[in-house]
Amino acid sequence: MMQPLLQVSNLRKSYGRHLSVGGISFEIAQGSCVALLGPNGAGKTTTLRMIAGLLPPSAGSIGFTGSYQGGDFRRELGYLPQSPAFYGWMSGQEYVVFAAKLAGMNRKEAEGKAKAALERVGLKAAARRRIAGYSGGMKQRLGLAQALVHRPRLLLLDEPVSALDPIGRREVMELLREIREETTIVFSTHVLHDAEEVCDEIIVMKDGLIAEQGALSVLRSKYSQPVITVRTEKNAEAIQWLNSVGAKPFILEARLNGEHAVFNVDNLKQARHTILKEAAASNIPLLQFEAGSSTLEDMFMKVVGG
Amino acid sequence: MRNTWIVYQKEMLETARTYKLIWIPVVFILLGAMQPIITYYMPEILQAANNVPQGILEGYVMPGAGTVMSQALGQYSTIGILVLVLVAMNSLSGERYNGSAELVLSKPVSPAGFVIAKWAGLFTILFLALGLGVASALYYTEQLIGSLPWMDVVAAAALYGIWLLCALSLTLLFSAFLRAPAAAFLSLLSSAGMALADSLMPSWFQWTPAALPGLSARLLSEGREAVGVNLSPCLSAALLILFCVAGASTLMGRNKLPK
Repeated sequence: MMQPLLQVSNLRKSYGRHLSVGGISFEIAQGSCVALLGPNGAGKTTTLRMIAGLLPPSAGSIGFTGSYQGGDFRRELGYLPQSPAFYGWMSGQEYVVFAAKLAGMNRKEAEGKAKAALERVGLKAAARRRIAGYSGGMKQRLGLAQALVHRPRLLLLDEPVSALDPIGRREVMELLREIREETTIVFSTHVLHDAEEVCDEIIVMKDGLIAEQGALSVLRSKYSQPVITVRTEKNAEAIQWLNSVGAKPFILEARLNGEHAVFNVDNLKQARHTILKEAAASNIPLLQFEAGSSTLEDMFMKVVGG
Repeated sequence: MRNTWIVYQKEMLETARTYKLIWIPVVFILLGAMQPIITYYMPEILQAANNVPQGILEGYVMPGAGTVMSQALGQYSTIGILVLVLVAMNSLSGERYNGSAELVLSKPVSPAGFVIAKWAGLFTILFLALGLGVASALYYTEQLIGSLPWMDVVAAAALYGIWLLCALSLTLLFSAFLRAPAAAFLSLLSSAGMALADSLMPSWFQWTPAALPGLSARLLSEGREAVGVNLSPCLSAALLILFCVAGASTLMGRNKLPK
Protein backbone atom coordinates (compact mmCIF):
# COMPACT_ATOMS: atom_id res chain seq x y z
CA MET A 1 0.00 0.00 0.00
CA MET A 2 1.47 3.27 -1.06
CA GLN A 3 1.61 6.09 1.41
CA PRO A 4 -0.92 8.78 0.54
CA LEU A 5 0.43 12.09 -0.73
CA LEU A 6 -1.92 14.14 1.36
CA GLN A 7 -3.47 13.17 4.63
CA VAL A 8 -6.13 15.39 6.12
CA SER A 9 -7.49 14.45 9.49
CA ASN A 10 -10.26 16.02 11.47
CA LEU A 11 -9.75 19.38 9.80
CA ARG A 12 -11.87 22.18 11.23
CA LYS A 13 -12.19 25.88 10.57
CA SER A 14 -14.50 28.20 12.41
CA TYR A 15 -14.92 31.95 12.12
CA GLY A 16 -16.19 33.07 15.49
CA ARG A 17 -19.31 30.97 16.03
CA HIS A 18 -19.74 30.14 12.38
CA LEU A 19 -18.35 26.73 11.49
CA SER A 20 -17.04 26.71 7.94
CA VAL A 21 -15.42 23.28 7.90
CA GLY A 22 -16.59 20.95 10.64
CA GLY A 23 -13.98 18.26 11.04
CA ILE A 24 -13.25 16.39 7.83
CA SER A 25 -10.78 13.61 7.14
CA PHE A 26 -9.61 12.21 3.84
CA GLU A 27 -6.56 10.91 2.06
CA ILE A 28 -5.32 11.59 -1.40
CA ALA A 29 -3.14 9.05 -3.12
CA GLN A 30 -0.24 9.98 -5.34
CA GLY A 31 -1.30 10.36 -8.94
CA SER A 32 -5.02 10.45 -8.32
CA CYS A 33 -7.48 13.11 -9.33
CA VAL A 34 -10.00 14.05 -6.70
CA ALA A 35 -12.96 16.37 -7.10
CA LEU A 36 -14.23 18.28 -4.13
CA LEU A 37 -17.89 18.47 -4.91
CA GLY A 38 -20.56 20.51 -3.21
CA PRO A 39 -22.88 23.47 -3.38
CA ASN A 40 -21.71 27.02 -2.72
CA GLY A 41 -20.91 27.55 0.93
CA ALA A 42 -20.10 23.90 1.58
CA GLY A 43 -16.57 24.76 2.69
CA LYS A 44 -14.67 23.70 -0.43
CA THR A 45 -12.71 26.92 -0.82
CA THR A 46 -11.88 27.04 2.88
CA THR A 47 -10.61 23.45 2.72
CA LEU A 48 -8.42 24.17 -0.30
CA ARG A 49 -7.04 27.32 1.28
CA MET A 50 -6.13 25.41 4.42
CA ILE A 51 -4.33 22.75 2.37
CA ALA A 52 -2.52 25.50 0.45
CA GLY A 53 -1.31 26.95 3.75
CA LEU A 54 -3.17 30.22 3.28
CA LEU A 55 -5.49 29.70 6.25
CA PRO A 56 -4.51 28.25 9.60
CA PRO A 57 -6.92 25.45 10.58
CA SER A 58 -8.82 25.83 13.85
CA ALA A 59 -8.13 22.17 14.59
CA GLY A 60 -6.93 19.02 12.90
CA SER A 61 -3.91 18.35 10.78
CA ILE A 62 -2.75 18.30 7.20
CA GLY A 63 0.11 15.96 6.37
CA PHE A 64 2.00 16.30 3.15
CA THR A 65 4.38 13.40 2.66
CA GLY A 66 7.57 13.67 0.74
CA SER A 67 8.33 17.28 1.49
CA TYR A 68 11.99 17.35 2.35
CA GLN A 69 12.96 18.45 5.81
CA GLY A 70 13.29 22.17 6.30
CA GLY A 71 11.96 22.89 2.84
CA ASP A 72 8.81 24.86 2.30
CA PHE A 73 6.02 22.45 1.34
CA ARG A 74 4.53 25.17 -0.84
CA ARG A 75 7.31 24.52 -3.33
CA GLU A 76 5.63 21.22 -4.13
CA LEU A 77 2.24 22.83 -4.45
CA GLY A 78 0.44 24.56 -7.27
CA TYR A 79 -2.58 26.62 -6.31
CA LEU A 80 -5.16 28.36 -8.42
CA PRO A 81 -7.80 30.40 -6.58
CA GLN A 82 -11.36 30.80 -7.78
CA SER A 83 -10.81 34.15 -9.47
CA PRO A 84 -7.07 34.58 -9.80
CA ALA A 85 -5.84 38.18 -9.75
CA PHE A 86 -2.59 39.03 -11.48
CA TYR A 87 -0.67 42.24 -11.95
CA GLY A 88 -2.25 43.83 -14.99
CA TRP A 89 0.91 45.76 -15.85
CA MET A 90 2.89 42.53 -16.28
CA SER A 91 2.89 40.38 -19.38
CA GLY A 92 1.80 36.76 -19.10
CA GLN A 93 5.37 35.61 -19.65
CA GLU A 94 6.66 37.91 -16.90
CA TYR A 95 4.13 36.64 -14.40
CA VAL A 96 4.92 32.99 -15.00
CA VAL A 97 8.66 33.72 -14.76
CA PHE A 98 7.95 35.53 -11.47
CA ALA A 99 6.05 32.48 -10.18
CA ALA A 100 8.81 30.11 -11.32
CA LYS A 101 11.50 32.16 -9.60
CA LEU A 102 9.48 32.18 -6.39
CA ALA A 103 9.38 28.39 -6.60
CA GLY A 104 13.18 28.40 -6.47
CA MET A 105 14.33 28.40 -10.08
CA ASN A 106 17.10 30.61 -11.38
CA ARG A 107 16.38 33.17 -14.06
CA LYS A 108 17.37 31.08 -17.04
CA GLU A 109 15.55 27.96 -15.93
CA ALA A 110 12.49 30.01 -15.00
CA GLU A 111 12.34 31.58 -18.45
CA GLY A 112 12.55 28.23 -20.20
CA LYS A 113 9.95 26.58 -18.00
CA ALA A 114 7.63 29.58 -18.24
CA LYS A 115 7.75 29.46 -22.01
CA ALA A 116 6.90 25.76 -21.99
CA ALA A 117 4.07 26.23 -19.49
CA LEU A 118 2.53 29.06 -21.50
CA GLU A 119 2.75 27.08 -24.70
CA ARG A 120 1.10 24.17 -22.99
CA VAL A 121 -1.92 26.21 -21.89
CA GLY A 122 -2.18 27.80 -25.32
CA LEU A 123 -1.00 31.28 -24.42
CA LYS A 124 2.12 31.31 -26.56
CA ALA A 125 0.82 34.02 -28.88
CA ALA A 126 -0.35 36.22 -26.02
CA ALA A 127 2.66 35.65 -23.76
CA ARG A 128 4.15 39.08 -24.38
CA ARG A 129 0.89 40.98 -24.00
CA ARG A 130 -0.11 42.76 -20.81
CA ILE A 131 -2.36 40.68 -18.56
CA ALA A 132 -4.74 43.65 -18.25
CA GLY A 133 -5.89 42.86 -21.79
CA TYR A 134 -6.55 39.14 -21.19
CA SER A 135 -10.04 37.61 -21.31
CA GLY A 136 -11.46 35.58 -18.45
CA GLY A 137 -10.55 32.29 -20.12
CA MET A 138 -7.00 33.47 -20.81
CA LYS A 139 -6.58 34.53 -17.19
CA GLN A 140 -7.74 31.11 -16.04
CA ARG A 141 -5.23 29.45 -18.37
CA LEU A 142 -2.51 31.81 -17.16
CA GLY A 143 -3.50 30.78 -13.64
CA LEU A 144 -2.96 27.15 -14.62
CA ALA A 145 0.41 28.01 -16.17
CA GLN A 146 1.64 29.73 -12.99
CA ALA A 147 0.42 26.80 -10.89
CA LEU A 148 2.11 24.24 -13.16
CA VAL A 149 5.38 25.91 -14.05
CA HIS A 150 7.39 24.37 -11.22
CA ARG A 151 5.98 20.87 -11.76
CA PRO A 152 4.21 20.64 -8.40
CA ARG A 153 3.43 17.28 -6.86
CA LEU A 154 0.00 18.47 -5.83
CA LEU A 155 -2.20 20.81 -7.81
CA LEU A 156 -5.03 22.57 -5.98
CA LEU A 157 -7.63 24.20 -8.20
CA ASP A 158 -10.58 26.11 -6.82
CA GLU A 159 -13.52 26.08 -9.22
CA PRO A 160 -11.29 26.15 -12.28
CA VAL A 161 -14.11 26.17 -14.82
CA SER A 162 -17.06 27.77 -13.03
CA ALA A 163 -16.57 31.27 -14.39
CA LEU A 164 -15.86 30.25 -17.97
CA ASP A 165 -17.99 30.15 -21.09
CA PRO A 166 -18.54 26.73 -22.73
CA ILE A 167 -15.50 27.04 -25.00
CA GLY A 168 -13.18 28.17 -22.23
CA ARG A 169 -14.58 25.40 -20.05
CA ARG A 170 -13.89 22.82 -22.74
CA GLU A 171 -10.28 24.00 -23.10
CA VAL A 172 -9.55 23.94 -19.39
CA MET A 173 -11.13 20.48 -18.99
CA GLU A 174 -8.97 19.15 -21.83
CA LEU A 175 -5.91 20.59 -20.11
CA LEU A 176 -6.85 19.03 -16.80
CA ARG A 177 -7.20 15.64 -18.48
CA GLU A 178 -3.65 15.99 -19.80
CA ILE A 179 -2.21 17.29 -16.55
CA ARG A 180 -3.69 14.52 -14.49
CA GLU A 181 -1.33 12.10 -16.20
CA GLU A 182 1.60 13.90 -14.60
CA THR A 183 0.56 15.02 -11.17
CA THR A 184 -1.98 14.74 -8.41
CA ILE A 185 -4.96 17.06 -8.77
CA VAL A 186 -7.54 18.19 -6.25
CA PHE A 187 -10.15 20.50 -7.69
CA SER A 188 -13.40 21.85 -6.40
CA THR A 189 -16.55 22.21 -8.42
CA HIS A 190 -20.28 22.35 -7.93
CA VAL A 191 -21.00 20.43 -11.10
CA LEU A 192 -20.95 16.63 -10.88
CA HIS A 193 -20.48 16.37 -14.63
CA ASP A 194 -17.13 18.19 -14.44
CA ALA A 195 -15.96 15.81 -11.76
CA GLU A 196 -17.01 12.73 -13.74
CA GLU A 197 -15.19 14.03 -16.79
CA VAL A 198 -11.66 14.04 -15.37
CA CYS A 199 -11.66 12.50 -11.92
CA ASP A 200 -11.73 9.05 -10.54
CA GLU A 201 -12.61 9.98 -7.01
CA ILE A 202 -15.01 12.43 -5.47
CA ILE A 203 -15.53 13.95 -2.06
CA VAL A 204 -18.99 15.42 -1.63
CA MET A 205 -19.17 18.21 0.91
CA LYS A 206 -22.16 19.84 2.44
CA ASP A 207 -22.29 22.38 5.27
CA GLY A 208 -18.64 21.87 6.09
CA LEU A 209 -18.87 18.09 6.36
CA ILE A 210 -18.14 15.22 4.02
CA ALA A 211 -21.45 13.76 2.92
CA GLU A 212 -20.01 11.02 0.73
CA GLN A 213 -16.63 10.09 -0.63
CA GLY A 214 -15.06 7.36 -2.67
CA ALA A 215 -14.10 6.19 -6.12
CA LEU A 216 -16.60 7.13 -8.77
CA SER A 217 -17.00 3.55 -9.96
CA VAL A 218 -17.76 2.33 -6.45
CA LEU A 219 -20.22 5.13 -5.79
CA ARG A 220 -21.94 4.55 -9.11
CA SER A 221 -22.80 0.97 -8.30
CA LYS A 222 -23.60 1.81 -4.70
CA TYR A 223 -26.18 4.37 -5.73
CA SER A 224 -27.54 2.41 -8.63
CA GLN A 225 -30.92 1.53 -7.17
CA PRO A 226 -34.03 0.50 -9.06
CA VAL A 227 -36.19 3.53 -9.52
CA ILE A 228 -39.56 4.19 -11.12
CA THR A 229 -40.58 7.57 -12.43
CA VAL A 230 -44.27 8.28 -12.98
CA ARG A 231 -45.97 11.35 -14.37
CA THR A 232 -49.70 11.77 -14.70
CA GLU A 233 -52.06 14.43 -15.90
CA LYS A 234 -52.67 17.22 -13.47
CA ASN A 235 -55.80 16.20 -11.62
CA ALA A 236 -56.64 15.65 -8.00
CA GLU A 237 -57.58 12.00 -8.38
CA ALA A 238 -54.28 11.10 -10.04
CA ILE A 239 -52.22 12.93 -7.43
CA GLN A 240 -54.11 11.18 -4.68
CA TRP A 241 -53.35 7.87 -6.35
CA LEU A 242 -49.65 8.71 -6.56
CA ASN A 243 -49.70 9.42 -2.83
CA SER A 244 -51.29 6.05 -2.14
CA VAL A 245 -48.63 4.31 -4.25
CA GLY A 246 -45.96 6.04 -2.17
CA ALA A 247 -47.25 4.28 0.91
CA LYS A 248 -46.95 0.75 -0.52
CA PRO A 249 -44.58 -1.65 1.22
CA PHE A 250 -42.26 -2.23 -1.76
CA ILE A 251 -41.49 1.50 -2.00
CA LEU A 252 -38.29 2.38 -0.18
CA GLU A 253 -38.54 6.06 -0.72
CA ALA A 254 -40.98 8.27 -2.53
CA ARG A 255 -40.39 11.77 -3.77
CA LEU A 256 -43.58 13.43 -4.89
CA ASN A 257 -43.78 16.72 -6.65
CA GLY A 258 -47.40 17.29 -7.66
CA GLU A 259 -48.16 15.04 -10.59
CA HIS A 260 -44.51 13.94 -10.87
CA ALA A 261 -43.27 11.11 -8.66
CA VAL A 262 -39.98 9.24 -8.26
CA PHE A 263 -40.05 5.97 -6.33
CA ASN A 264 -37.06 4.02 -5.11
CA VAL A 265 -38.19 0.41 -4.98
CA ASP A 266 -36.74 -2.83 -3.70
CA ASN A 267 -38.20 -5.09 -6.37
CA LEU A 268 -38.51 -3.51 -9.78
CA LYS A 269 -40.53 -6.31 -11.36
CA GLN A 270 -43.16 -6.43 -8.66
CA ALA A 271 -43.39 -2.67 -8.37
CA ARG A 272 -43.81 -2.17 -12.10
CA HIS A 273 -46.50 -4.83 -12.26
CA THR A 274 -48.46 -3.44 -9.32
CA ILE A 275 -48.30 0.19 -10.35
CA LEU A 276 -49.31 -0.45 -13.94
CA LYS A 277 -52.16 -2.75 -12.94
CA GLU A 278 -53.51 -0.23 -10.45
CA ALA A 279 -53.20 2.63 -12.89
CA ALA A 280 -55.18 0.71 -15.47
CA ALA A 281 -57.79 -0.42 -12.98
CA SER A 282 -58.50 3.03 -11.55
CA ASN A 283 -58.23 4.70 -14.96
CA ILE A 284 -55.33 7.00 -14.05
CA PRO A 285 -54.32 9.32 -16.93
CA LEU A 286 -50.63 8.35 -17.15
CA LEU A 287 -48.34 10.56 -19.19
CA GLN A 288 -45.01 8.93 -18.47
CA PHE A 289 -43.81 5.74 -16.90
CA GLU A 290 -40.17 4.86 -16.67
CA ALA A 291 -38.36 2.07 -14.92
CA GLY A 292 -34.61 2.28 -14.56
CA SER A 293 -31.87 2.82 -12.08
CA SER A 294 -30.79 5.90 -10.23
CA THR A 295 -27.59 7.69 -11.13
CA LEU A 296 -24.88 9.50 -9.28
CA GLU A 297 -26.61 12.71 -10.22
CA ASP A 298 -29.66 11.62 -8.19
CA MET A 299 -27.43 10.88 -5.23
CA PHE A 300 -25.72 14.25 -5.59
CA MET A 301 -28.98 16.12 -5.86
CA LYS A 302 -30.30 14.30 -2.82
CA VAL A 303 -27.21 15.08 -0.76
CA VAL A 304 -27.08 18.66 -1.88
CA GLY A 305 -30.78 19.37 -1.83
CA GLY A 306 -31.81 17.46 1.27
CA MET B 1 15.36 36.05 1.77
CA ARG B 2 15.79 35.23 -1.93
CA ASN B 3 12.05 35.43 -2.50
CA THR B 4 11.84 38.77 -0.69
CA TRP B 5 14.38 40.01 -3.22
CA ILE B 6 12.30 38.62 -6.11
CA VAL B 7 9.17 40.35 -4.81
CA TYR B 8 11.20 43.55 -4.37
CA GLN B 9 12.33 43.36 -7.99
CA LYS B 10 8.69 42.98 -8.99
CA GLU B 11 7.84 46.04 -6.88
CA MET B 12 10.49 48.13 -8.61
CA LEU B 13 9.33 46.95 -12.03
CA GLU B 14 5.83 48.05 -11.06
CA THR B 15 6.94 51.50 -9.91
CA ALA B 16 8.79 51.90 -13.21
CA ARG B 17 5.91 50.63 -15.36
CA THR B 18 3.35 52.80 -13.61
CA TYR B 19 5.66 55.84 -13.93
CA LYS B 20 5.84 56.29 -10.15
CA LEU B 21 9.60 56.18 -10.44
CA ILE B 22 9.40 59.31 -12.59
CA TRP B 23 6.59 61.48 -11.34
CA ILE B 24 7.33 61.28 -7.62
CA PRO B 25 10.95 62.42 -7.99
CA VAL B 26 9.75 65.12 -10.39
CA VAL B 27 7.34 66.44 -7.75
CA PHE B 28 10.16 66.42 -5.18
CA ILE B 29 12.56 68.16 -7.56
CA LEU B 30 10.00 70.87 -8.32
CA LEU B 31 9.20 71.37 -4.64
CA GLY B 32 12.88 71.59 -3.78
CA ALA B 33 13.88 73.93 -6.61
CA MET B 34 10.90 76.24 -6.16
CA GLN B 35 11.87 77.48 -2.71
CA PRO B 36 15.27 79.08 -3.53
CA ILE B 37 13.98 80.42 -6.86
CA ILE B 38 10.90 82.04 -5.35
CA THR B 39 12.96 83.47 -2.48
CA TYR B 40 15.49 84.97 -4.88
CA TYR B 41 12.97 86.53 -7.20
CA MET B 42 10.59 87.64 -4.45
CA PRO B 43 11.34 91.38 -4.93
CA GLU B 44 10.65 91.11 -8.68
CA ILE B 45 7.52 89.12 -8.06
CA LEU B 46 6.28 91.70 -5.57
CA GLN B 47 7.13 94.54 -7.92
CA ALA B 48 5.25 92.88 -10.73
CA ALA B 49 2.24 92.66 -8.46
CA ASN B 50 2.20 96.51 -8.65
CA ASN B 51 -0.05 97.23 -5.70
CA VAL B 52 2.47 96.36 -2.96
CA PRO B 53 3.03 99.11 -0.32
CA GLN B 54 6.48 100.70 -0.61
CA GLY B 55 7.78 99.72 2.82
CA ILE B 56 7.58 95.98 2.23
CA LEU B 57 9.87 96.01 -0.79
CA GLU B 58 12.55 98.05 0.92
CA GLY B 59 12.32 96.01 4.08
CA TYR B 60 12.85 92.71 2.23
CA VAL B 61 15.95 90.98 3.40
CA MET B 62 17.24 87.97 1.48
CA PRO B 63 17.20 85.04 3.94
CA GLY B 64 20.37 83.01 4.47
CA ALA B 65 21.15 79.86 2.53
CA GLY B 66 20.48 77.63 5.55
CA THR B 67 17.02 79.12 6.07
CA VAL B 68 16.11 78.70 2.43
CA MET B 69 17.29 75.11 2.47
CA SER B 70 15.28 74.28 5.57
CA GLN B 71 12.23 75.96 4.03
CA ALA B 72 12.70 73.78 0.96
CA LEU B 73 12.81 70.69 3.16
CA GLY B 74 9.74 72.02 4.95
CA GLN B 75 7.81 71.64 1.69
CA TYR B 76 8.29 67.89 1.97
CA SER B 77 6.55 67.68 5.33
CA THR B 78 3.30 68.88 3.76
CA ILE B 79 2.97 68.15 0.05
CA GLY B 80 5.78 65.58 0.12
CA ILE B 81 4.12 63.51 2.85
CA LEU B 82 0.78 63.74 1.08
CA VAL B 83 2.27 62.42 -2.16
CA LEU B 84 4.11 59.59 -0.42
CA VAL B 85 1.10 58.51 1.63
CA LEU B 86 -1.15 58.50 -1.43
CA VAL B 87 1.36 56.29 -3.22
CA ALA B 88 1.77 53.91 -0.28
CA MET B 89 -1.88 53.60 0.76
CA ASN B 90 -2.66 51.00 -1.88
CA SER B 91 0.49 48.96 -1.50
CA LEU B 92 -0.91 46.24 0.74
CA SER B 93 -4.64 46.90 0.72
CA GLY B 94 -4.87 46.87 -3.07
CA GLU B 95 -3.23 43.47 -3.30
CA ARG B 96 -5.31 42.13 -0.43
CA TYR B 97 -8.64 43.19 -1.85
CA ASN B 98 -8.09 42.20 -5.47
CA GLY B 99 -6.60 38.84 -4.55
CA SER B 100 -3.15 39.15 -6.11
CA ALA B 101 -1.61 38.77 -2.65
CA GLU B 102 -3.40 35.43 -2.24
CA LEU B 103 -1.71 34.08 -5.36
CA VAL B 104 1.76 35.33 -4.39
CA LEU B 105 1.47 34.13 -0.79
CA SER B 106 0.48 30.64 -1.94
CA LYS B 107 4.10 30.44 -3.15
CA PRO B 108 6.97 30.06 -0.70
CA VAL B 109 6.77 33.71 0.36
CA SER B 110 6.11 34.65 3.97
CA PRO B 111 3.85 37.59 4.82
CA ALA B 112 6.86 39.24 6.47
CA GLY B 113 8.95 38.83 3.31
CA PHE B 114 6.11 40.28 1.26
CA VAL B 115 5.75 43.30 3.58
CA ILE B 116 9.51 43.89 3.75
CA ALA B 117 9.73 43.86 -0.05
CA LYS B 118 6.92 46.43 -0.20
CA TRP B 119 8.61 48.55 2.45
CA ALA B 120 11.94 48.38 0.63
CA GLY B 121 10.20 49.42 -2.59
CA LEU B 122 8.70 52.46 -0.87
CA PHE B 123 12.04 53.25 0.73
CA THR B 124 13.70 53.19 -2.68
CA ILE B 125 11.16 55.65 -4.08
CA LEU B 126 11.61 57.93 -1.06
CA PHE B 127 15.40 57.74 -1.29
CA LEU B 128 15.41 58.64 -4.98
CA ALA B 129 12.81 61.39 -4.68
CA LEU B 130 14.32 63.03 -1.62
CA GLY B 131 17.88 62.70 -2.91
CA LEU B 132 17.08 64.33 -6.24
CA GLY B 133 14.81 66.91 -4.60
CA VAL B 134 17.44 67.96 -2.10
CA ALA B 135 20.10 68.03 -4.80
CA SER B 136 18.02 70.39 -6.93
CA ALA B 137 17.23 72.60 -3.91
CA LEU B 138 20.91 72.70 -3.03
CA TYR B 139 21.91 73.51 -6.60
CA TYR B 140 19.60 76.53 -6.86
CA THR B 141 20.43 77.70 -3.34
CA GLU B 142 24.14 77.65 -4.17
CA GLN B 143 23.58 79.43 -7.48
CA LEU B 144 21.22 82.12 -6.25
CA ILE B 145 21.71 82.65 -2.56
CA GLY B 146 24.85 81.29 -1.02
CA SER B 147 26.86 78.21 -0.30
CA LEU B 148 26.19 75.66 2.44
CA PRO B 149 28.34 73.00 4.08
CA TRP B 150 27.51 69.82 2.17
CA MET B 151 27.72 67.50 5.10
CA ASP B 152 25.16 69.56 6.99
CA VAL B 153 22.76 69.38 4.07
CA VAL B 154 23.19 65.62 3.77
CA ALA B 155 22.64 65.16 7.51
CA ALA B 156 19.60 67.46 7.50
CA ALA B 157 18.12 65.63 4.51
CA ALA B 158 18.73 62.28 6.20
CA LEU B 159 16.90 63.44 9.34
CA TYR B 160 14.02 64.60 7.17
CA GLY B 161 14.09 61.32 5.27
CA ILE B 162 13.73 59.34 8.49
CA TRP B 163 10.66 61.38 9.40
CA LEU B 164 9.12 60.76 5.96
CA LEU B 165 9.96 57.08 6.26
CA CYS B 166 8.01 56.99 9.53
CA ALA B 167 4.95 58.34 7.71
CA LEU B 168 5.41 55.75 4.94
CA SER B 169 5.77 52.90 7.43
CA LEU B 170 2.63 54.00 9.26
CA THR B 171 0.75 53.97 5.95
CA LEU B 172 2.03 50.46 5.27
CA LEU B 173 0.86 49.33 8.70
CA PHE B 174 -2.66 50.72 8.22
CA SER B 175 -2.74 49.42 4.67
CA ALA B 176 -2.27 45.89 6.01
CA PHE B 177 -5.74 45.80 7.56
CA LEU B 178 -7.73 48.77 6.24
CA ARG B 179 -8.92 49.92 2.86
CA ALA B 180 -6.62 52.37 1.08
CA PRO B 181 -8.45 55.66 1.81
CA ALA B 182 -8.80 54.82 5.50
CA ALA B 183 -5.12 53.87 5.66
CA ALA B 184 -4.09 57.16 4.06
CA PHE B 185 -6.36 59.17 6.35
CA LEU B 186 -5.15 57.48 9.52
CA SER B 187 -1.47 57.73 8.68
CA LEU B 188 -1.78 61.41 7.75
CA LEU B 189 -3.76 61.98 10.93
CA SER B 190 -1.21 60.24 13.13
CA SER B 191 1.81 61.98 11.59
CA ALA B 192 0.04 65.34 11.76
CA GLY B 193 -0.92 64.57 15.36
CA MET B 194 2.68 63.80 16.25
CA ALA B 195 3.92 66.97 14.54
CA LEU B 196 1.27 69.05 16.30
CA ALA B 197 2.11 67.56 19.68
CA ASP B 198 5.77 68.33 19.05
CA SER B 199 5.10 71.94 18.11
CA LEU B 200 2.76 72.52 21.08
CA MET B 201 4.93 70.93 23.74
CA PRO B 202 8.41 70.58 22.26
CA SER B 203 10.02 69.81 25.59
CA TRP B 204 7.80 66.76 26.05
CA PHE B 205 8.05 65.39 22.56
CA GLN B 206 11.64 66.14 21.60
CA TRP B 207 12.49 62.44 21.73
CA THR B 208 9.78 61.45 19.22
CA PRO B 209 10.27 61.14 15.47
CA ALA B 210 8.17 64.29 15.10
CA ALA B 211 11.12 66.30 16.44
CA LEU B 212 13.22 65.31 13.41
CA PRO B 213 12.06 68.11 11.05
CA GLY B 214 12.83 70.74 13.70
CA LEU B 215 16.20 69.17 14.34
CA SER B 216 16.93 69.18 10.63
CA ALA B 217 16.05 72.89 10.34
CA ARG B 218 18.26 73.81 13.31
CA LEU B 219 21.11 71.82 11.85
CA LEU B 220 20.91 73.89 8.67
CA SER B 221 20.61 77.27 10.33
CA GLU B 222 23.02 76.78 13.23
CA GLY B 223 25.44 74.18 11.96
CA ARG B 224 26.35 70.74 13.21
CA GLU B 225 28.49 71.82 16.13
CA ALA B 226 25.78 74.00 17.63
CA VAL B 227 23.13 71.26 17.50
CA GLY B 228 25.35 68.43 18.70
CA VAL B 229 24.39 64.79 18.64
CA ASN B 230 20.79 64.01 19.42
CA LEU B 231 20.06 60.36 18.94
CA SER B 232 16.78 59.83 20.75
CA PRO B 233 14.45 60.97 17.92
CA CYS B 234 16.34 58.75 15.46
CA LEU B 235 16.17 55.84 17.86
CA SER B 236 12.44 56.26 18.47
CA ALA B 237 11.91 56.60 14.71
CA ALA B 238 13.78 53.35 14.11
CA LEU B 239 11.63 51.65 16.73
CA LEU B 240 8.45 53.06 15.20
CA ILE B 241 9.47 51.83 11.74
CA LEU B 242 10.35 48.41 13.10
CA PHE B 243 7.04 48.24 14.92
CA CYS B 244 5.15 49.24 11.76
CA VAL B 245 6.86 46.62 9.59
CA ALA B 246 6.43 43.86 12.19
CA GLY B 247 2.80 44.86 12.79
CA ALA B 248 2.11 45.00 9.07
CA SER B 249 3.61 41.52 8.64
CA THR B 250 1.44 40.05 11.37
CA LEU B 251 -1.72 41.75 10.11
CA MET B 252 -0.93 40.83 6.51
CA GLY B 253 -0.63 37.20 7.58
CA ARG B 254 -4.13 37.38 9.00
CA ASN B 255 -5.74 39.45 6.26
CA LYS B 256 -4.12 38.09 3.13
CA LEU B 257 -7.28 36.60 1.64
CA PRO B 258 -9.75 38.74 -0.27
CA LYS B 259 -13.05 39.22 1.52
